[in-house]
Amino acid sequence: MTQLKIENLHAGYGSKMILNDFNLEINQGEMIALLGPSGCGKTTLLNALCGFVPASHGEIYVGDRVITKLPAEKRNITMVFQSYALWPHLTVAQNIGYGLKVRKVKTAEIQDRVNELLVIVKLEGLQNEKVTSLSGGQRQRVALARALAIRPDVLVLDEPLSNLDAKVRLNVRHEIKSLQKQLGFTSLIVTHDQEEALVMADRIAVLNQGKIEQLGTPEEIYRTPSSAFVANFMGAENHIEWQNDDNTLPAKSAQQIYFRSESVQVTVPSEKASSLSNDVHFDSDLTCQGHVLQSAFFGHHYRISVRCGAHTIQADHHSDLPENTPVTLRVTADALHIYNNQVETAAHHVPTSFQSNK
Amino acid sequence: MHFKISKNLWLVAPAAIMVAILFLYPLCFSLYSAITLDNGSFTLEHLHTSFELYSNDILFTILIVLISVILLALLSTIIAALIVLSPFRSVVLILGVLYRLPLFIPFIVTAQMMRTFLAKNGLMNNAFIASGLMTPMDTVSFLGWSGIIITFVWKQLAFSTLLITGAMSALDESQIRAARNLGASRFKILTQIILPQIFPTLGVAMVLSTVTMMSVLSVPLMIGTGTPTMISADMAFRVNSYGDYHVANALGLVSYAICAGLAWFYLRHSLKDKGATA
Repeated sequence: MTQLKIENLHAGYGSKMILNDFNLEINQGEMIALLGPSGCGKTTLLNALCGFVPASHGEIYVGDRVITKLPAEKRNITMVFQSYALWPHLTVAQNIGYGLKVRKVKTAEIQDRVNELLVIVKLEGLQNEKVTSLSGGQRQRVALARALAIRPDVLVLDEPLSNLDAKVRLNVRHEIKSLQKQLGFTSLIVTHDQEEALVMADRIAVLNQGKIEQLGTPEEIYRTPSSAFVANFMGAENHIEWQNDDNTLPAKSAQQIYFRSESVQVTVPSEKASSLSNDVHFDSDLTCQGHVLQSAFFGHHYRISVRCGAHTIQADHHSDLPENTPVTLRVTADALHIYNNQVETAAHHVPTSFQSNK
Repeated sequence: MHFKISKNLWLVAPAAIMVAILFLYPLCFSLYSAITLDNGSFTLEHLHTSFELYSNDILFTILIVLISVILLALLSTIIAALIVLSPFRSVVLILGVLYRLPLFIPFIVTAQMMRTFLAKNGLMNNAFIASGLMTPMDTVSFLGWSGIIITFVWKQLAFSTLLITGAMSALDESQIRAARNLGASRFKILTQIILPQIFPTLGVAMVLSTVTMMSVLSVPLMIGTGTPTMISADMAFRVNSYGDYHVANALGLVSYAICAGLAWFYLRHSLKDKGATA
C-alpha cells in the first residue's frame, strides 16, 4: 500500500526550481534512501515534503490525504535534522515529549510514551539530563525519539549520521535500520554516502539535477546501474572511453566503460611481458598494461594508481607495489558497466548488442 | 615569561589609564562627594536631603523606568519575532529598515519631535481631529509622565529590537523548523523555544536601556510637566541653581542604586538559569 506519493512536484527557492516534475511512491513501512551529490535536490525534496519549501506545482499525498498546501505544523511528517536541532534549554524527556505537549496530550500519557521511547532508543535513565550534556550519538537518538513520539505518517531523515564520527555512525545506522524494521515506520533518508544507503534502505533513489536517475533495490543499483552517472556515483570510479572502429556500424560511436577498483585483477608480469605497449585492449574482458604511479595503504588492501596509455586506472591489490612497477590489469566482462555515448541506456556486463558490435 | 607579562601590560596600559582617568576617577569622586562634607568628614546628610526633597521624584523615576522597560521588552520582542518568524518576507524587509531609524536620532531631537507630536494641539491630536475621530474639545495633552514613557520607548525600541533580533537570528534555524515540524504554532515557538534561549540578551538590552533612560536629561525637561520629574532633572537643578554638588552626587548614588538593583535582578535570574543548566 502506497503511504507517500509525490506527483509531478516542482519546488525550489524563489525563481530557481530545484525539483522539476519529480515523481516518487513509497510503500507503507518502507525505507527509501535519496542518494546524490550536493545540490541534486535531496534536501529540497525533504523540505518540500515537510512544508518548509512551497511546491509551485504538483501534489504530495500521504495515504489518501493531499498535504501539498498544508502548513508545516499540520502535515504529520517529522524530520530528523542533520544538526539534531534539539532545544538546549529543555531536558531529554522534554525534547522527546514536545510534539505530544503541543498536541495537548495528557501529562501521564506523554510520560509513558517518553519512557517507552527512551527504552527503544537505549537512553533509559537520561530523561532528566540536559541535551547539551549528551554525546553526538545520544543526541541523534533523542532527535529520532522526538520525531517518532508523535507517531508520524512519514519520517524523513536529513543526513542524520553525517555529524557523527565513523565508529558511532556505524552503530547508529544499524540502530536506525533495526528500529525501522521493529516499528515499521515509513521513512525517507537523505545521504550522500553510498554505503549508508546500501546498508539502510529497502530501495534507493539516485538523484541527479532534481530528477531520479535510477530507483531500485540496493542490489539493482549497485550491480546494474542504469547510467554512467549512477555507476560513477556508486563507486565505479574508473572510466575509459572506448572508440569503436568497426566500419560496418552506421556511425562511429564511443562506449563509456566504468568499473570499480576492487574488480581489477592486478598481476606483475615477467620481464619479457613488461616490454609490451602501455595500451588498453577491450575484447569482452578489458585488459591493459601500465606502470604504477603511486600506491596508498587502505587497511585491508593497497589502492594503486596505474598509468595505462592515456588513462589512469585505480586498482586494489593485496600488497604494496613500488613506483614504476610494470603491471597487467584485467577486468572481467561481468564487472564492466558499459554505456552508449549518445543514448545513456543501461548496457551491463557487456551487453549482447555491444558484443555483436565487436 | 616575565618579559611577556610586562610587554602585555604595556599594551593594556593606555586603555586602562584612559578608563581610570575618564571613568573610574569621576565615579569614585562623585561617590565620595555624596557621603562627605566639604571638610572631608563622613556624612549621610546629603542622602537624607535627597530623600527629604526628592523622594517623590525618585519614586516617579523608578515607575517611569519600570513601565518603559516592561513596554520595551514587550514591543521589541514582538517586532523581533515578526522579523524572524513572519512568513511575509516583503513586510519584514520594510519593518527591518523602519525599526532601526530611531537609532540615528539623538535624544534631544526625539524630545523636540515628541513635544510637537504629543502636545494638546500637537500633530497627533490634529491628525485625529482632521480624520474626524475626535473634536478639538476632546483632545488631551500627552506631555507629562505618559509622554516621557512614550519617548523613551520610541527611542530605545530600535536598540533593544536590534539586540533581540540578532539573538533570535543567531538561533539555529533548524530548531525553529523542528518545532514547526512537530506541530507548534508560531506563538508557541516564540514562547517555548525562542524566548527561553534569548532571555540573557533580553536582560542585557533592558539593563542597558535603563542606564540610558536614567541618564537622559533632555526628555524629562522637555516632555515632563515640572513636578514630579526624573532625578536626572533634579541633579541638573541642584548643580545649576545652587551649585550643590553634594546633593547632586547623592542623587547620582540613588541612580546607581536603581540601575544596580535592576542589574542584580537580571543577574540573579540568568545565574539561576545557568545553575539549572549545569
